[in-house]
Amino acid sequence: MSVLRAENLCVTARIDGVDVAALDGLSLTLAPGKVLGLVGESGAGKSMLGRAIAQLLPPGFAVTAGMLEFAGRDLVAMAPDQRQNLLGRQIGFIPQEPLSALNPVRSIGSQFAEHLRRLGIADWRSAAIAALESVQLPDLLDRFPHQLSGGMCQRVLIAMAFASKPALVVADEPTTALDVTIQARIVALMRDLQVAQNTAVLFITHDLRLAAQVCDEIAVLYAGRVVEHGPADVVLAQPLHPYTKCLLLAAPAISGPRTALYALPDQMPGLRALAEMSGCRFAPRCPLARDACRESVPALAGDTHKIACPHIAEIDTITVPALAPAMVAATGETLVSVAGLGKVFRGRFGRKPTIAVRDVSFSIAAGEFVGVVGESGSGKSTLARLLMGLEQKTSGEIRLAGQDVGGWGAAARRLRLRTAQMVFQDPQSALNPRRRVGAIVTQALEAAGVGLAERRARAAEILADLGMPLELADRAPSQLSGGQRQRVNIGRALCLVPKLLVADEIVSGLDVSVQAQLLALLARLRAEHGFALLLISHDLAVVRYLCERVMVMRNGEVVEAGRTDEVFANPQHDYTRELLASVPGAA
Amino acid sequence: MLAAFLRRLLAVAPILALVSLLLFGALRLLPIDPAAMSMPPTATKVEIEAARQAMGLDRPVTVQYAIWLGQTLRGDFGNSIHMRRPVAGLLAETLPATIELSLAAMVIAGLLGLGGGLGMFALRDRRGEAVAETVTTLMMSLPEFLWALLLIFVFGVLLSALPFTGRLDPGMTRPVVTQFLLLDTLLVGRVDVFFSAVRHMILPAFALGVAFAPPIMRVLRASLIDTYQEDYIRQARLRGVGETRILLGHALQNAILPTLTLMGVQFGFLFGGSLLVEVIYSYPGMGNLMVDAVRNADLPIIQAVGLTYCVVVLAITAGVDGLVMLLNPRLRGT
Repeated sequence: MSVLRAENLCVTARIDGVDVAALDGLSLTLAPGKVLGLVGESGAGKSMLGRAIAQLLPPGFAVTAGMLEFAGRDLVAMAPDQRQNLLGRQIGFIPQEPLSALNPVRSIGSQFAEHLRRLGIADWRSAAIAALESVQLPDLLDRFPHQLSGGMCQRVLIAMAFASKPALVVADEPTTALDVTIQARIVALMRDLQVAQNTAVLFITHDLRLAAQVCDEIAVLYAGRVVEHGPADVVLAQPLHPYTKCLLLAAPAISGPRTALYALPDQMPGLRALAEMSGCRFAPRCPLARDACRESVPALAGDTHKIACPHIAEIDTITVPALAPAMVAATGETLVSVAGLGKVFRGRFGRKPTIAVRDVSFSIAAGEFVGVVGESGSGKSTLARLLMGLEQKTSGEIRLAGQDVGGWGAAARRLRLRTAQMVFQDPQSALNPRRRVGAIVTQALEAAGVGLAERRARAAEILADLGMPLELADRAPSQLSGGQRQRVNIGRALCLVPKLLVADEIVSGLDVSVQAQLLALLARLRAEHGFALLLISHDLAVVRYLCERVMVMRNGEVVEAGRTDEVFANPQHDYTRELLASVPGAA
Repeated sequence: MLAAFLRRLLAVAPILALVSLLLFGALRLLPIDPAAMSMPPTATKVEIEAARQAMGLDRPVTVQYAIWLGQTLRGDFGNSIHMRRPVAGLLAETLPATIELSLAAMVIAGLLGLGGGLGMFALRDRRGEAVAETVTTLMMSLPEFLWALLLIFVFGVLLSALPFTGRLDPGMTRPVVTQFLLLDTLLVGRVDVFFSAVRHMILPAFALGVAFAPPIMRVLRASLIDTYQEDYIRQARLRGVGETRILLGHALQNAILPTLTLMGVQFGFLFGGSLLVEVIYSYPGMGNLMVDAVRNADLPIIQAVGLTYCVVVLAITAGVDGLVMLLNPRLRGT
């Protein structure tokens, strides 16, 4: 008997009096010991299934049709106390944000005790230590969540989820918040426990390559419907639905020939937009769409490899051109030169000082794109902040266009701001919610005392540069989509036409198709304006796609630097090799 | 943990020094001549001048401050000009009474506040919420002296259910061991006197504490609602933890922290607010002592009471900070 079976499952939200299906006719089965990947971008409805299993749907959402069974028992009709009885015992959950999924005021031991006592284990302490051992953690029962790293917290949560030997574990983006090397370890641990206990796992992720590595089967969701479902390796190697294919082509690869990124227009429709849609929900963005696609909903058809599209014969017409390896721009003129740069954060309240950056030297030529990769805590963001003068250096020298700008002085500050601009990671918090887009992108002119008419003219130019319609100038950031907000964030930095952009994780947290749009935008703007870029990123594939040179940072030091194609093809440092090997889909 | 708390205590010293300076300076600015006040109205100018010299009032203000501070640090607050008794003795009699009253009021505010906060949280997004809002707003908007008069009128006069003057029934003698009446009556085993004392404290403590309950309710309710949005609450639910345990074992432990900080701040206000209530209920505490001292321009008492007020408030703040540190591992500095 299957562990989990969904048959024509519909989860519906009521929006402005209209019912919209957030999950529309989902059918799938999960056999014992199997791993099923549920893949999709944000808004695809992939988390809805996990929430429907626990019946913890967001307010306004409800299961309105179909059925959902766990081991032959109807989860929707089941009495709440019976379902609660299954949770934590036979169904385990692994969350997305490990650091906030543990109660901060209770020790790890007390949270284990609560869980294991409920399972009826009297000697919870030794059981907890055994569970921690199974995820390769020492006895940290007396510690508190804030004393652990994100990866350790996630291992604690995995140990708790598997402590009851559950039949089913639902893992909702369990590694999204973690560094890539930690992700590799966590995924391996989950896989080991799952095999040892013959647990069925529902693995929810946005990362098709990661899913292919972890799962036996993959179901690709688009706007609440499964568009493709099949064996993991087949779906990755031979995607037959246009969405799956576009998604794969939109994500930069870590190895193999360098190609352009497929630029899917727009983004996944939200629930409100879905209410007015008929036919195939992917049709408005689909390169293969024709009028018939907008009239009837294509059925999911096929044996082991099911596809909800009648035009699979044309799937090979969706291609992207190959790109030459990114080459160092040959201008030669040095724009940035940094020598022996160091930053020490003083320890507060008797704590030890932290060396965030130590003895870093590099240079960037005019028009050159340089990537900085490394894990959290490697000092890459501090490096960006030092360059921008947001932190004061402890030692070393920073020169922009040949002039020393390391100090606090007004002259250094003016030169810095004229030459370099920063794009921050999270546009949600980087854009003042009370200002209009037009005012945001011309903030630098406003600070310089330029008149309103001139500012409005410049705002129109910038919006045109960003590929955004002019009427957005009067919108507030909250009225924009995530991708549009990040465009505005970039546009603000471009206002005074800087020679250098410093960008800190500007595409992390964005969906792959939106990321591809932004990367294409950066490449086009570069061709038009010729600025240099220092791109801080944890995503090695993005750096490989965009940058000619790369620096690998660890513990505040640059451990390897060189031309991107050479470093990625032939890494010299052990850490670079580990980093590259951890990326899902690495050859 | 202990080191962090001691560091917190150490931060109190400069505040105390500053307050003593302000207190001393402000009272010296008043057009009052303590020497003249301390002599009978018939005293001659020469006699008053002699008294002024004896009291050290002819010396520079800085020297006077140094002398006063030195004596205060040794526990010598001088003599009351009006009552001609050592101020230290007067404080020893009245401070415990005020502390007992304030603590009782804080317990009432805390019980009402925490209970009401949980109740309001249970009522969230329901129809009863508006009623609860109205009641708590009303509770908050009445000042304590109005509460005092209302309670006297209803429970003392109309219902004759509770006494409203003094601390004990007439004819009872108070045992003295520690000066804390409730404690002393129990120590000497006089349960009847204890209950009489408790009955006398109900109305003043309620009048003093009731207006402090609504802010506690609101903060607890708001932080419970915030806490329920946290990932660890959902994760506990997904582990099958029951709703009662989620409230008591997970949400409350986190939501109580801002509430405790608020209660610490409130206790300072409440301690100061005891003055009016003490006067209305003829309660022999520091408030009544202070009112008499102000009426008689009795500077040594005013200085000592002012300083005591400051010490108590600082001690409470430090105590609450310590408690929050104890309950919140993130503040323990590891």
